[in-house]
Amino acid sequence: MSNILRTSDLSKRFQQTVVLDHLNMIVPEHSVYGLVGPNGAGKTTTIKILMNARQPTEGMAEVFGRDSRKLSPEDFTQIGYVSENQQMPEWMTVEYFMNYLKPFYPDWDVVRAQELVRLFELPPDRKIRNLSHGMRMKAALASSLAYRPRLIVLDEPFTGLDALVRDELIEGVLECAEGATILISSHDLSEIESFASHIGYLDRGRLQFSEEMTSLVDRFREIEITLANPSPSPISWPAAWLNTEQSAALVRFVDTQFDQERTIAEVHRLFGNTHQISVNPMPLRAIFVTLAKAGRKAA
Amino acid sequence: MRQALHIFKKDVRHLWFEIAVVITVVVAFAFTGARRALWLVDPATNRTAAWTLVLILLPLAWWTLIARVIHDEALPGDSQFWITRPYSWKSLLGAKALFILTFVNIPVWLADGVIVRAYGLPLGAEMPGLLWSQVLLAIVFILPIAALSALTTGFVQLVFAILTPCVIALGLAIVAPEVVLGGFLGGLDWVKTYYLFLVISVAASAILVWQYAMRRTAAGRSLALAAGILAVLGMTLIPWSVAFRIQSWFSKQRLDQSLVHVDFDSRNRWLARAVIERGDRVRIELPLDIAGLPPGIIAKPEGFSVHLQGPDGTVWQANQLLAGKMGQKFSLEAAVDGAFYRKIKDEPLKVRGSLYMTLFGNRRTVRVPFLDRSVLVPRVGVCSATGGVHRQSYFLICSSAFRFPPVLVSYSFIPSAKEALQDVWSSTEPRRPISYSPFPAEPGISPVSQDFTFSTVRVPLSEARVDTLEPLAHIRRNFEIDNLRLGDFEVRPAPVSP
Repeated sequence: MSNILRTSDLSKRFQQTVVLDHLNMIVPEHSVYGLVGPNGAGKTTTIKILMNARQPTEGMAEVFGRDSRKLSPEDFTQIGYVSENQQMPEWMTVEYFMNYLKPFYPDWDVVRAQELVRLFELPPDRKIRNLSHGMRMKAALASSLAYRPRLIVLDEPFTGLDALVRDELIEGVLECAEGATILISSHDLSEIESFASHIGYLDRGRLQFSEEMTSLVDRFREIEITLANPSPSPISWPAAWLNTEQSAALVRFVDTQFDQERTIAEVHRLFGNTHQISVNPMPLRAIFVTLAKAGRKAA
Repeated sequence: MRQALHIFKKDVRHLWFEIAVVITVVVAFAFTGARRALWLVDPATNRTAAWTLVLILLPLAWWTLIARVIHDEALPGDSQFWITRPYSWKSLLGAKALFILTFVNIPVWLADGVIVRAYGLPLGAEMPGLLWSQVLLAIVFILPIAALSALTTGFVQLVFAILTPCVIALGLAIVAPEVVLGGFLGGLDWVKTYYLFLVISVAASAILVWQYAMRRTAAGRSLALAAGILAVLGMTLIPWSVAFRIQSWFSKQRLDQSLVHVDFDSRNRWLARAVIERGDRVRIELPLDIAGLPPGIIAKPEGFSVHLQGPDGTVWQANQLLAGKMGQKFSLEAAVDGAFYRKIKDEPLKVRGSLYMTLFGNRRTVRVPFLDRSVLVPRVGVCSATGGVHRQSYFLICSSAFRFPPVLVSYSFIPSAKEALQDVWSSTEPRRPISYSPFPAEPGISPVSQDFTFSTVRVPLSEARVDTLEPLAHIRRNFEIDNLRLGDFEVRPAPVSP
């Protein structure tokens, strides 16, 4: 699997504010890469640099193995980009917008474009300025999928959308993006969880982790221990345990490097006999909240 | 090219209303401009208000259209839909250039042609002016607004970008006008103007190419600021002597001027003065004689530099532009510091200097009869002379295409033979300052410049006359005066009696 997107020591500063701090991120080809992180983590900035909409202060971003600052019109014929805050040509009707974009893309599929307009129930003769936010996102997405791009970049596409529209968008992307690489940044972790194959967690401009979804879900566990005998808190908790809580005979924490045998052995080493150990898998949202809380504490 | 045409078609569809407004104003411009030609034969038809309104509306309509078409794909920012689409910057820039050419340049070019023709000026002969006026239109009205539009995201930002330097320039012009405008260089003033045009065209073109290719707005704005500073500095600091050198370089020297020389006019030595003035200043006046001029040639001193040196090596120098009259005799006037004067006034001085002058010749006279039609006047354009009500007032109106004539023009009225002995007003002095610009057009919207004069003498006039003199050479001649004792020419102002 080759890499479609890659950043190397990518940094971005706005005057004194560091937005990206030596970011190293790789998005493998054919993956659905979810870039998650709290507000201000640098997700949008990363994507804008990858799309050559902004310039890095240091380091480099590569798309299709090419420096993103040198992306050519030909490269953009293979990229579909949709952003929540994208400025659209408000005066165009949906139909004119689709027809206007057609000559820019050698691989524009007229039939598919019509299907997308139908699928998203877009009114062809309505001006973009008169579309709801959800409709605008659908129009942007339809215009970005009609030419079967090799890379689809979605920057916070679900923000402000109701559940139904979100589902329609996700379905649309999954139906039409077969074989494409998708980079999606979102706060809407529950949706990402359902289809992301890889996940990257960005916090304060640094990538805290980047891995396959399966391995991420496997290594995060919420653990609750009922101690046989109440004991004092350990002097130092293992570094991989986050959000540790202890009250009398009850201990709770999130193990970020869960391994059945090793974790149980560590519990016994620290607390002696236990009455019960409950190990629960975590949804992506819970993992994200845990990491965000731990990040704030550390800060 | 295909992409450029595709974007162009989109812009036409989007901006049809703005295009319609521009075309309407251009049609009004052509109509009112052509109607003004009637003024040549009937001064009562002058419609100044409509014409003035059109001259105000036209640039406003152009600027709105230019800003709108560039802002349609705004360059600053990172959220525009088009920046992540396969736009080629060359196609985008080409589309915008094609749009401006189609809806700004071509219509006004045609309108200029209609107006020039309406005046009876020959289009073929005026073609260089017609083309050069398009270059000036691009430099003065298109490029600056296009560059500013490329650095802004919308109309509000653009208006702010236009008004800010205007307010600063206005403030400076009030406090220190010489900083903003520099001094007026007379016929050489076009050098400063074209320096400004050069800065505008280079900076604006660089900003446009840079922005379309790179979209680095901060750098583009810095370039615009630097260009503004460079323009003001140049306008302020270009000395007239440099302007004169540039003028000489541009002019064809169509004259043998090897014998021309400048000397102290010893025959009129009595005209020399050292006038004590208030504020501890002394005005020195030295009569000079321009000799060796070929027959029929008149000299016009444009400026001088002078260097006074006392026996002890003390030096005073001046460098001055002149707005004097034409002629062979010339009085060099310069104010020296009182302290310096007192120190050297009784010492034999050495005066060294250079006189910069323009030589005029090839006089041509064209008679313009009082008829209801205009007459072609070579070097000027067309002129018509009309006798007013009951032949008690007479008008002479001359129209020139794209610029005032690059020659000295003077007008006069000729009385009928039987009235020839009566005193009839006539002007042999040039009507307006000449510009030595070698270019066939001057900046401005109106393609025709007009000049008129009239006479109200109560005698019948037979015809008017237009005299022209052509600038043939711009030359510099050095002069030296030895053993000049300024104290010998000292003049003290008479005391004011109570």
